[in-house]
Amino acid sequence: MKENKILTRRVGRYQPLDIVAYKALGGLQGLKRALEIGPESIIEEIKKSGLTGRGGAGFPTGLKWASAAKVKQQPKYFICNADEGELGTFKDKVLLDGDPWLVLEGIIIAAYAIGAEQTYIYIKGEYEKTAELWENLVCEAEKANLLGERILGSSFSANLQVVRGRGPYIAGEEFALISSLEARRAMSKLKPPYPTEEGLFGKPTVVNNVETIANVPVILAETAEKYRKLGVEGDTGTRLFSLSGDVKKTGVYELEMGSGTLRELINELGQGTKNGRSIKAVQPGGGTSTLLGRDSLGCKLTSRAIRQAGSGIGTAGVIVYQEDRSAVDILKGLLKFYGAESCGRCAPCRIGVTKMKEIVDTLSRGEAAADDLAQLHEIGKACIVASTCGMGQAFPLPVLSALELFPEDFEAAITKNQKLK
Amino acid sequence: MTKFKMQTYQNLVKDSGGATRENLFSLLGKVQDEFGYVPREVVRDLASRTGLAEARIYGALTSYKDFKVTSQLDNQDERE
Repeated sequence: MKENKILTRRVGRYQPLDIVAYKALGGLQGLKRALEIGPESIIEEIKKSGLTGRGGAGFPTGLKWASAAKVKQQPKYFICNADEGELGTFKDKVLLDGDPWLVLEGIIIAAYAIGAEQTYIYIKGEYEKTAELWENLVCEAEKANLLGERILGSSFSANLQVVRGRGPYIAGEEFALISSLEARRAMSKLKPPYPTEEGLFGKPTVVNNVETIANVPVILAETAEKYRKLGVEGDTGTRLFSLSGDVKKTGVYELEMGSGTLRELINELGQGTKNGRSIKAVQPGGGTSTLLGRDSLGCKLTSRAIRQAGSGIGTAGVIVYQEDRSAVDILKGLLKFYGAESCGRCAPCRIGVTKMKEIVDTLSRGEAAADDLAQLHEIGKACIVASTCGMGQAFPLPVLSALELFPEDFEAAITKNQKLK
Repeated sequence: MTKFKMQTYQNLVKDSGGATRENLFSLLGKVQDEFGYVPREVVRDLASRTGLAEARIYGALTSYKDFKVTSQLDNQDERE
């Protein structure tokens, strides 16, 4: 299995603030073509490329842009979501630090395509140095006439404001991010209306993930026709896989969609599990994705194949768990995080995550009773159906799949309790 | 982190081109980074500049774990 570096090809090859070096390495070709062909054709190109969101939900980018572009009122906003908070996901940072001009080029093209003059990049609070870099990048971009009035001699003007997040995980969710930018509590809300109709300050807003945006200049520079040849039908382009957990070589690997299997990613690029034990389970799409057992490791790395295996590609954060881990411990770790991060807006998630965490903690202490498992299952199901946003709908997935895949781990925890009695 | 001075804060507002609802969140962030907390005086001033209720800003602030509303320097002094 080999990496196919499309988005990451320039990472680390130039000083981050050096626009001349970026140009010399082939940068800004996408923006130049974008300004030539105009907003409508850009959106057509993006639609044709088959680009889908890389932040977890996988919504077609072209469609999102089109629905914001058709609203004629001003102002409109474009937000680049750099609040990368999903467990086991750290790919956006590679682009933000390693090839920031590519991301900026994408932001300008997106803003031009939808007609937004005010743009934001919302950077995860923990990425303090990255935010500093971006503050300086904006100054450089203004000097180079990539931001500000009449960009590169066109009639289009745009500003970019760098905003640092302040902690909450949920701020990575579209509406919670918008709410945070409005200086409110970061909380999700019911859709519709979608942000493209009523977003930031009630105005049409497009929110795109960093990796999604980094694809845009590439598509424009190389044409959608050529870009489509990357990957497979329905799953075009590459994905940045963040590989972590019990593997020897953790890191971010850019792979063409469908170019290999989960097992190859873990065993070849990740060089296998930490102490050579066999793999017990994998979360292929970040901490909220359904666990896949050993039988599913032959699964191709496309969103369709991973969905067919019963999980989701999500943020492409692949978390590996090796044989000596108990499913109870895995869940304990996950629920500790999500339990602290539920925004509290809707009851199923707020109460459900707390209750599920309590049960798993009891299990791990060996104090659970047999009917606790049924309750865990039932609450999980209820959360999935009744929660408002993606977090509440997704955090029970690893729990439910663990119950199904590793019943022996839970039974062991309960038998331990009975022996104590 | 520096000790809170009204003048330093006023300069932060000026450098951000004034205080509006559009830049309130990032301005609060700048205040936090400068002083290590967002003082009550600042909340009051920003409320009057943006036309928002003090409670509305304070309520939002205290929901973020990286925002503090009491001086971290004073706490240190007390420990010493």
